[in-house]
Amino acid sequence: MPFNAIPAEDFFNRESELHYLKGLSELKKNALGGDVFLEGARGTGKTELLKQLYRLLYWEGDVVPFYYSFKTANLKGAYFAKDYFAGFVRQYISFAKKEPLIAQGSAEPFERLMPAISSLGLYWLIDCIEDFETHVNKNDFYWQIVAAISAPVIAAKKSGKPVIVMLDDFDAAASLYESSLGDTTGLISLFRESMQNSLCPHVMTGSAGALDAIFTDHSLIGMTEQMRLGPLPEDVAAELFGAHLARLKISPPPVEEAKFLAVLKGNPLYIRNLAKAAWKMRKKELHEKDLIECYSFEVSDGETAFYWSSVLSRYMKTAEQRRAMLKILMHSFENQGFDDVKRLSILSGVDETETGAILAAINVSGIIRDKDAVLQDFIRCLYMKEIEGRTAVYAKEKIETKYLSEKEESCFELVIPMSSNAELVVAKAVEQIGKNSNLDAEFLNYLQLALIEVCINAMEHSGSYEKKVFLKFITRPDRLEIIVENSGKPFSPDTRKEIPVEEKLRMGIKRGWGFKLVYAIMDNVKVERVNDRTRVIMTKNLKDKEVLE
Amino acid sequence: MKPVQFSVASKLVGDAAVIYPKGYLNNLSGESLVNECGIYIGRGITKIVVNFSETDLINSIGISLILQIMEDLRNIKGTICCTNMSKFLHDTFEMLGLIQHMIVFPSESDAIKYLKAGTP
Ligand SMILES: Nc1ncnc2c1ncn2[C@@H]1O[C@H](COP(=O)(O)OP(=O)(O)OP(=O)(O)O)[C@@H](O)[C@H]1O
Ligand SMILES: [Mg+2]
Repeated sequence: MPFNAIPAEDFFNRESELHYLKGLSELKKNALGGDVFLEGARGTGKTELLKQLYRLLYWEGDVVPFYYSFKTANLKGAYFAKDYFAGFVRQYISFAKKEPLIAQGSAEPFERLMPAISSLGLYWLIDCIEDFETHVNKNDFYWQIVAAISAPVIAAKKSGKPVIVMLDDFDAAASLYESSLGDTTGLISLFRESMQNSLCPHVMTGSAGALDAIFTDHSLIGMTEQMRLGPLPEDVAAELFGAHLARLKISPPPVEEAKFLAVLKGNPLYIRNLAKAAWKMRKKELHEKDLIECYSFEVSDGETAFYWSSVLSRYMKTAEQRRAMLKILMHSFENQGFDDVKRLSILSGVDETETGAILAAINVSGIIRDKDAVLQDFIRCLYMKEIEGRTAVYAKEKIETKYLSEKEESCFELVIPMSSNAELVVAKAVEQIGKNSNLDAEFLNYLQLALIEVCINAMEHSGSYEKKVFLKFITRPDRLEIIVENSGKPFSPDTRKEIPVEEKLRMGIKRGWGFKLVYAIMDNVKVERVNDRTRVIMTKNLKDKEVLE
Repeated sequence: MKPVQFSVASKLVGDAAVIYPKGYLNNLSGESLVNECGIYIGRGITKIVVNFSETDLINSIGISLILQIMEDLRNIKGTICCTNMSKFLHDTFEMLGLIQHMIVFPSESDAIKYLKAGTP
């Protein structure tokens, strides 16, 4: 219900949007517009903006606010009609009497409201209720829905007071059905009449991909203006996070350690959840590593994870579909793309038709429109849990290590083609990276050698179709970490039996020195398999002035 | 790291061939090194000096091709000496446990002297 809006002073940075929406009924009266499709990434605050608008209109009294959420609605038509109609009647009376409680008592039968309606002199509303009940009693499916949807219009006409109709997560209305899911299409177009009425501006929310999908009727798109709700700017985001922490009595992170918050990309939902996670984890003060820890908890097992799970399950009903979607999402993140259905199908092992269908659903859901690192981390965790059978704790730790090791200023990435001498580009790059960190020149020669070996190993043995090697260098004061990744055949150096040099020479075995060098040069070498990729992780501890013993 | 182009220069000093691999010693350049040695071996030369003064960088394929040359010479009872190896190159062979199977001299002239002394 719309009354649990956050205090106006805690609502950041949406003054102009709020101001504009407040003026909608004026605009509509003057035929300058009036219906708005409010789109934005998940959690950017679409619902909150409606709630704020609602509260404002409610207490000002010139325009009647009506809010309906399709997110949690039962989409069986008859049920929806009752819910929508009852919601409107209650909210209307509540508005007229300025008694918020009336709007919240959803279990109360209409008869109980009659005295209030009479005392307000809203006789037309009594007619309206009677008409609706007649349709219900006659079991007239279609007219029940029409009567419910047109209730705000009737109210506006009878009273002369405009009604702003707020339809939250309106894209779900495309799935309204008669008796079983999918049996009827186009019930959503019954909103058309109501939307065209000059006394009833509509504000609908939904994901970015949804608008075209809902309005198959193009005359409706034409009338509807799109408003995009963007992320909070960086400074406002920091301020919001600080405000949440202050309320939870947690000291905020020092400015230079708060850079990590950029990963939340100004999303108020993520910001709030992170602050709450800090509280759940009983943090009293926050440093960068605490932020990373709380964040990793959030995406693996916290409220953010729960939020995204429920969003995904709205689009993927069965466990099987969900697993297929996970594989596809994971592969498209790793390979930076959703375009090539055939390739995604091969990589994920999901057949092509299903891959196509899942991609379409992903597209409509709008979840991947904006590159969302939080969603990607959530998907990674879910993949580890559901596909790889890992625990939530394991997933959390993986995410943690990823961020702890990746401070942007000390992280370099490079992609090379699998072609001859490409490894020299890597050698050159690592030389400069090493120089930037004042590493000893001779030591750098060894580092170059180790990298060259890993690269040529990838080029020679992977049989990869992608024909690319991905490298990442992370420098820290005490340690250098290099990650080399490529798709193709698995490779495991441990399975190679160590043959003594003499034996090798006697038998004329000349190859196979590469990884021996890598092991000798680096302090730690791990070879992992991540999906269809081989990942070699090498670390070297840096002593005062690195010289090889 | 200096230029990466690889080329092989060589000359004959008495009955020994001196070969100068240059640049980055990998599969491509290693092959031409093997070929160059092959030409001398074909002409009946059994003493080869590989002067590494101009080799900047090497990879394991380059290493394996040097082992190939060592083996070719062993088969004809010849001798191969390596000279002017940088500390890096020397340590690399050492890391692999190969250095004790090679005849290494600080300079080319030392190697030539050694090979002459070995001549009956
Ligand atoms: N401008 C803002 N300032 C402070 N908090 C905000 C702001 N906008 C949203 N919030 C808070 O962020 C959280 C997420 O907002 P909300 O649920 O409105 O997002 P949404 O866009 O409707 O998400 P969904 O896509 O799931 O429907 C809520 O707790 C809300 O109170
Ligand atoms: Mg919402």
